[in-house]
Amino acid sequence: MFILLRLISWPYFRKHVLRTALTTAGIVLGVAVFVGMHTANQSVLFAFSHTVDRIAGKTELQVSAGETGFDEAVLDKVQSASSVRVAVPVIEAIADTKLKGQGNLLVLGVDMTGDRSLRDYDLESGEDAVIDDPLVFLAQPDSIILAKEFADKNGIAVGSRVTLGTAEGDKAFAVRGVMKSSGLTSAFGGNLAIMDIYAAQKMFGRGRMFDRIDVALKPNRTLADAEQEITAIVGPGFQVEPPSGRGQQFEAMLAAYSMMVGISSLFALFIGMFIIYNSFSIAVTQRRSEIGILRALGATRRQIRWLFLGESAVTGLVGSIGGVLFGVLIARGIAASIGTLIADVYGVAQHADELATNPALLALALAIGVGTSIVAAAIPARNAARVDPVQALQKGKYQVLSAGESRTRAVAAAICGVISIGCLLAANSRPIFYVGYVLAILVALLLGPLLSLALAKAIRPVLKWARPVEGALAADSLIQAPRRTSASVAALMLSLALVIAFAGMARASYDSIITWMETALNPELFILPSQSVVSRTIRFPSSMAAEVAAIPGVEHVQMVRDARIVFRKTPVMLVAVEVNNIAKTARLPPVAGNPDEMYRKAAAGEGLMVSDNLAQLQHLSLGETLEIPAPEGVIRLPIVGIVVDYSDQQGTILMDRGLFARYWKDDSVNIFRIYVKQGAPIADVRQRILEQYAGQRQVFVLTNDELKRYILKVTDQWFGLTSVQIAVAVLVAILGIVNTLTVSITDRRRELGVLQAVGGLHRQIRGTIWIEALSIGTLGLVLGFALGAINLYYILQIVHHDIAGMRLDYVFPISTVFALVPTILGAAFVAAIWPAESAVHGSLVEALEYE
Amino acid sequence: MSEGRVGQVGRVGQVGRRALAVAIAFAASIGAGAADNARQIVEEAQKRTDANSQRYEGLLQVFDAKGKISDKRWTFERLGSHGRSKSVLRFTAPAEVKGVALLVVNHPDRASDQWMWTPAIERDRRIALQDRSTRFFGTDFSFEDLEERDVDQYDYTLAGDDTVDGAACWKIQSTPRETKSSQYTRSIVWIRKDNYAFARIENSNKDQVVRRLNYSDIRNVQGIWTARQLEMTDVKRGSRTRLTLDRLEYNVPLKDEDFTLQAIRRQ
Repeated sequence: MFILLRLISWPYFRKHVLRTALTTAGIVLGVAVFVGMHTANQSVLFAFSHTVDRIAGKTELQVSAGETGFDEAVLDKVQSASSVRVAVPVIEAIADTKLKGQGNLLVLGVDMTGDRSLRDYDLESGEDAVIDDPLVFLAQPDSIILAKEFADKNGIAVGSRVTLGTAEGDKAFAVRGVMKSSGLTSAFGGNLAIMDIYAAQKMFGRGRMFDRIDVALKPNRTLADAEQEITAIVGPGFQVEPPSGRGQQFEAMLAAYSMMVGISSLFALFIGMFIIYNSFSIAVTQRRSEIGILRALGATRRQIRWLFLGESAVTGLVGSIGGVLFGVLIARGIAASIGTLIADVYGVAQHADELATNPALLALALAIGVGTSIVAAAIPARNAARVDPVQALQKGKYQVLSAGESRTRAVAAAICGVISIGCLLAANSRPIFYVGYVLAILVALLLGPLLSLALAKAIRPVLKWARPVEGALAADSLIQAPRRTSASVAALMLSLALVIAFAGMARASYDSIITWMETALNPELFILPSQSVVSRTIRFPSSMAAEVAAIPGVEHVQMVRDARIVFRKTPVMLVAVEVNNIAKTARLPPVAGNPDEMYRKAAAGEGLMVSDNLAQLQHLSLGETLEIPAPEGVIRLPIVGIVVDYSDQQGTILMDRGLFARYWKDDSVNIFRIYVKQGAPIADVRQRILEQYAGQRQVFVLTNDELKRYILKVTDQWFGLTSVQIAVAVLVAILGIVNTLTVSITDRRRELGVLQAVGGLHRQIRGTIWIEALSIGTLGLVLGFALGAINLYYILQIVHHDIAGMRLDYVFPISTVFALVPTILGAAFVAAIWPAESAVHGSLVEALEYE
Repeated sequence: MSEGRVGQVGRVGQVGRRALAVAIAFAASIGAGAADNARQIVEEAQKRTDANSQRYEGLLQVFDAKGKISDKRWTFERLGSHGRSKSVLRFTAPAEVKGVALLVVNHPDRASDQWMWTPAIERDRRIALQDRSTRFFGTDFSFEDLEERDVDQYDYTLAGDDTVDGAACWKIQSTPRETKSSQYTRSIVWIRKDNYAFARIENSNKDQVVRRLNYSDIRNVQGIWTARQLEMTDVKRGSRTRLTLDRLEYNVPLKDEDFTLQAIRRQ
């Protein structure tokens, strides 16, 4: 085996360096995207867990109520539990440091009186008394302790003042201590500050609420028993779980994103697999005579098959190693982009400062790379093993599709097609749906060569009419070698089908979001406590509503409070609005439910509205009674309406503000929606609002356009992955065309040589190859768009049922089609330049001697 | 010595009470005939410190292990006596802590309730029971040391005789009963034989002495033998805190409504 590899394969690789490189590049690309995406995703998840873990200290259990926080009184209840040794309250807030390039600071609000039982606050510099004597620290609300990492980075010493963005505007804080480097200070990349919890409540507009309670247990108490005891005391509206539970919730929140990452990396691997298949199919056809000779010399079919599988394994291994290295290299960049995306989409600031390179993942990537390569080469290897030595020496015949093979393909495609349609009609079961999807793709792959041949025949007259010599020669080349052509066309078809599906999904998502924004987000102005629309760290008091309403030019003010809660173990968005008020100005049409009754009941606190995506993901239906756990009890109300709402990917529950205030004891506000009086200049009203709160409160006023632009920008970021996929798909298509043309030229060296010898001009040779490339591109485009139309349907179904629950309209992305036609044809032309020049400038004598 | 129950025991909690809640009351007048029964001695000592109310101005000096001194001043008012008292401690200096107040409401049958008021953020906070073993704002006292407890919460054993600063004393060991939660497992109390005033208390945790309180400058104030200077040493840290009592008065007119959360918020 190794001898064959050394004697047969190695010289072949050396002779075809470019193709070998292209083939390997396919695997490198696939594995790199797989490793890069997963490593980056894992790094962000790890960074979050790391931060949670570091901040947790000796905490064994945490009591929380989603993001909403809860009344201070809960602390006494938790402290009264017999299993609790220490229970301390915590507030976490993200504050803008106002320091260029330093981003945000994670402010941990703690009660220093008891918190040292759980966390270590040893100081690097400053008075020990700051910690030992929390009196000064507590008495002065501007006290802050910084992590050494942050202090060192910014040249901050004890006694310095640091300005932070708070609910009360920019505030200068006195640095009363710098913590020694420790586990705690490494949380959040060292951008950590400690503040008194009651000062933090004031600074971040939290009223008399805590975010969570950290608990350490008495000796000999089990976590399970303590969880049970505390849950019984505080009620079902609270999550009582170890700190790692927060990491799991973070992971659950990112489920849709992680799924996208998974799909992207699988897609990349699939593309890589196709490149391998394409290359090895071409290699088998090209080396047919060589295989024939080997067979004639006594090589067994088994040896031939293993020779090709061995080649693919080696290629896969080399490509995978390259892919792993490249993947780790690009992971940091991807992680940074994911961090930004998470902050913008989910409102959770978390950046991965170090890469979580998981050896198991890298090993898996290597295995997948090699495995993919072997699987991709399996069919070409089998074909190679089946080569008949006599037929192998008959030039050209192997490129022809036999009538029998065509018939077999057609029959198999018909059977698969019927089953696929059957699966679609009976698609109540998700596995059956996916089987149908796979079969639909299989139909396309089975029919690919037949359709390529048919299309090539169909365009021959056109090509001949356009360029009598070059056109006819190019078309004949395609027709006479359908196997060679179809591999490249199939790769192009698949890539484009994915591009169409992703682009269609993105387009449909944009359209749906825009439609929703037009209805739901129609106030002229929005007042936010933070620059980020999704950040809920700082909140406004409800008393601000009356103040804003009194500002000249303001017609109407609406209060919105939103926060993630845990519903059926999934973090979903809870949006509390004045339903009566909202119904007058931003009436969302229900997907299910009577619009009048829906708003009336919801406003009366007799029902809840849920978003369509939540209904889909959690299998909810109109009239069903929901149980929403809240700090003050469990809300049991029916679903009175299902509406389209894109506030959150995991889904939204909309309820009346009164209900929220009652069950959460919280009347704070995240966003004020401002309707401006007719005729009043919006810019003037905005300025008046800013002036009203200048120096008193941190206020950001966005216009309707600015808010919509922000949402679309975030949507752009979300679909950034899709753009990468489209780029990869186009790149793969180009690689496929280059590969095919290179082989085509090699195969036809003698033919091209003869053509030149009988007076064929260089431009005619070039023209032939260019036209051949453009024809492959055209065939790929036609088939790709056709398969893309089907693929888009399936992808929209998957998005609706399995990823985001979004009900997206089927809209074929015409604009993408218009962009792809010149892109692919241009790429095909570029891909043809080198092969064409190679054919023109090659030695005529050598060409005529070929074969 | 007359027999009877008085709710004070030999432990740092008692010291705290003595130091911060009924500090001067330790210097009680000498009763008729000393008893050698440990419990009776403690009860008598406490009985002699009975007063309806108390007020003083305190100077708190913390000497850290490196010898650095930090001062705080407060005013202290107590209403009621032994196990049923309420007290308010309000810091007057330094400037950055001025106005911060601590309200302690003692109960005979359970741990006291404690709240702290911070005027700068206009917030009160409850000092949780679990936090009572932590240091009282950087001093060598703990929050638990501010509590008054009932004598029935402890068991006593006479451990012999001793002298402190030349004064003959009973040496009594007290241990918290099972119902009593405390950071200390055992305390040794020295009570002077001549006036039943507390002379020293050593608090131990698992046979390790953790805090030691010495009483000095014992004077008779309005008939009550009272130590004017108390010094708590944190044995492990090597730091000590000295509390000096000025302008000490007993049985001053105080109102019950001044010993509530609302009241400390007002002032």
